[in-house]
Amino acid sequence: MQRRDFLRKLAITTGGITVGGAVLSACGGGSSTTADGLSIGTPQNPIKLPVSTDPIADGLANESGTLEILNWADYMNPESIAAFETQFGVKISTSIYDTEEGAVAKLRNGTFKPDVILGMTDTGLAKLIAADILQPLNKSYIPNFGNVISGLRNPYYDLESQYTVPYFIYGNGIGYRTDVIDKSAFAQNGYEVLWDAKYNGRLAVLDSYRDTLAMAIFRNGGNDANSSDPDEIKKAGEALIEMREAVNPKVDILGYQEIPAGNRDIQFLWSGDMFTAVQYMPEGLDPGVLGFWYPETTVTKNDFMCVTKAAKSPVLAHQLINFLSDTDSALKNREYVGYQPALETITVDTLLASGTIPESLVDALVTPEKYASGLAQVTLEPAVDALWLEQWTAFTAG
Amino acid sequence: MKRTPRLWTLFALPGTTWLVALFAIPFYAVACVAFGTIDPIFRDAVPQWNPLSWDFTQASQTLASLTSGPLRGVAIRTVVYVFCAMVISFTIGFPIAYFLARHSGKRKLLFLALIIVPFWVNYLMRMLAWVNLLSSDGLFTRFMRLFGVNYNWLDGSPITVVLGLVYGYVPFLILPLYATLERLDWRLIDAARDLGANSRQAFRLVTMPMSKAGLVAAGILIALPMFGDYYTNDLLSRSPSTEMLGNQIDFFLNGSSQPQNGALLVIVLSIFLLALMSFYLRSTRQQARQTTR
Repeated sequence: MQRRDFLRKLAITTGGITVGGAVLSACGGGSSTTADGLSIGTPQNPIKLPVSTDPIADGLANESGTLEILNWADYMNPESIAAFETQFGVKISTSIYDTEEGAVAKLRNGTFKPDVILGMTDTGLAKLIAADILQPLNKSYIPNFGNVISGLRNPYYDLESQYTVPYFIYGNGIGYRTDVIDKSAFAQNGYEVLWDAKYNGRLAVLDSYRDTLAMAIFRNGGNDANSSDPDEIKKAGEALIEMREAVNPKVDILGYQEIPAGNRDIQFLWSGDMFTAVQYMPEGLDPGVLGFWYPETTVTKNDFMCVTKAAKSPVLAHQLINFLSDTDSALKNREYVGYQPALETITVDTLLASGTIPESLVDALVTPEKYASGLAQVTLEPAVDALWLEQWTAFTAG
Repeated sequence: MKRTPRLWTLFALPGTTWLVALFAIPFYAVACVAFGTIDPIFRDAVPQWNPLSWDFTQASQTLASLTSGPLRGVAIRTVVYVFCAMVISFTIGFPIAYFLARHSGKRKLLFLALIIVPFWVNYLMRMLAWVNLLSSDGLFTRFMRLFGVNYNWLDGSPITVVLGLVYGYVPFLILPLYATLERLDWRLIDAARDLGANSRQAFRLVTMPMSKAGLVAAGILIALPMFGDYYTNDLLSRSPSTEMLGNQIDFFLNGSSQPQNGALLVIVLSIFLLALMSFYLRSTRQQARQTTR
């Protein structure tokens, strides 16, 4: 797509959304609440979340004992955990979740009772607020909040960052083997490379209906990652079926293992996966074979940390958030996790200088500019969600 | 003597309780999810416990998808894969069970142990081991190249999925089959031979009919889990072109905001299996009646 074309489409689309938002607020009384009662902020319609309790008081002493964390698997460096334990003289115990929906369900029914939740995204946030699970943060415990990328200090999903502090950022794009595919292929053909029959049996897309269908929408020339246009959604589904016929793709999230292992050449994935892939590189092989194409039109996301209302150690919970927002601790944490901390103090140059990122993956780094131009994904209305799921089933049913 | 019927009822109590608590109630709960609604905020299932208010709109859409939509292909593929896997399992399993029962002599226990021991290892571990063996530089792939077979096993290939199913379930076929064959009255074979049947005829006319009950039982035992299997596919393929019903159920229940669809597919699959099973049970009962006559 031509740059000018892209800008024009952007203008048309954002204009459309603004109109839609205006109509919505006319009907719904001016809030960003969807028809089903969820408070969902969008970049066009940011939201200040309701607050039902006060944050903890200033200057409280740290609790002792155990700090309970709820986190994705391998999403915090064990060395960072040990460092925090030593510094604060406490034990950290971690529970693992593998889907946001599952985590919210288990938080609601009391299976999980953590102090801190790591790695939730805005789609989960709306539900956590609706279920009244979180407590507002007292920033006096989080001086490192100032390190956060400026564009994320007042995010659309949580204006004034009442509940959340960003953890990692990433963008959707294409990871590939530089020894098989040349960078220029993407400059010429963009997303179309994923439809190239040359890569039959060597290609995969993300096992995430929102991400992969949105990618197909972008490939078709659209730029709405939350499209509610039945025609556009259907065409995206058809594009994926076309891909299925041409390249018999796999649908999983294993690119970070399979690409370095040489089992596949190309995958649509989250940028952070490619940094994780560096650690999966077979002994003696140059990580320079890992490449990443960061599309001009794509989804950029971040996840965040938050404290539960029922936290037994709320002060420690704040301390952990502060700890992970410290530049050095975040760099240490990143060494293991791979993903990129949402800190302004950790620039592309810092990361390159750390020697842990091969030159070939510079494009996978999310710069503040890329973050600003990235598209956001928000929770879909049930009826629209059903349209997306219908197309996804048609694709995955083979 | 008057108390006997009540006593027998009492004996049936543990079994009945078991069946009600662990089958009837859960199955009813699945139905309540399938015909229930979705929480508008949290997008998880809200079971409708009152059958009078069951909502069939979503269910009928999913059924339509099964009969003429995208799920139709998945259903057909599932049946074909399971059928192929069962044919291969019988081809491998029957001779082994027969050998164990008839010809293994003193080493019977050793052979049995050799078959069972690998299956003490967790199913997932065994499948993950195969992922290593079958990868492009895996031992098995390299070994096959010696014979000129250069095949990308993990390429989302139906062959790999079917063989994975066979590998996963074949011991569950061998053991009940062995148990049946071992109890056969082999003197009947001798009698058949005395009456002029050659060994092939004796096998076809005596051994096979007598082991039919065992064959059916073993077949059902492996068919049931195969129909619902999704992790074999998840680990060995992950390609839409090999998607089975189990994978769709997994997706709807764990990864989507439409858990009712998953619940409905569970019900459809159960009814299908129940039909298959009652057919087999009837045929074995008929056969039993014929042989006792």
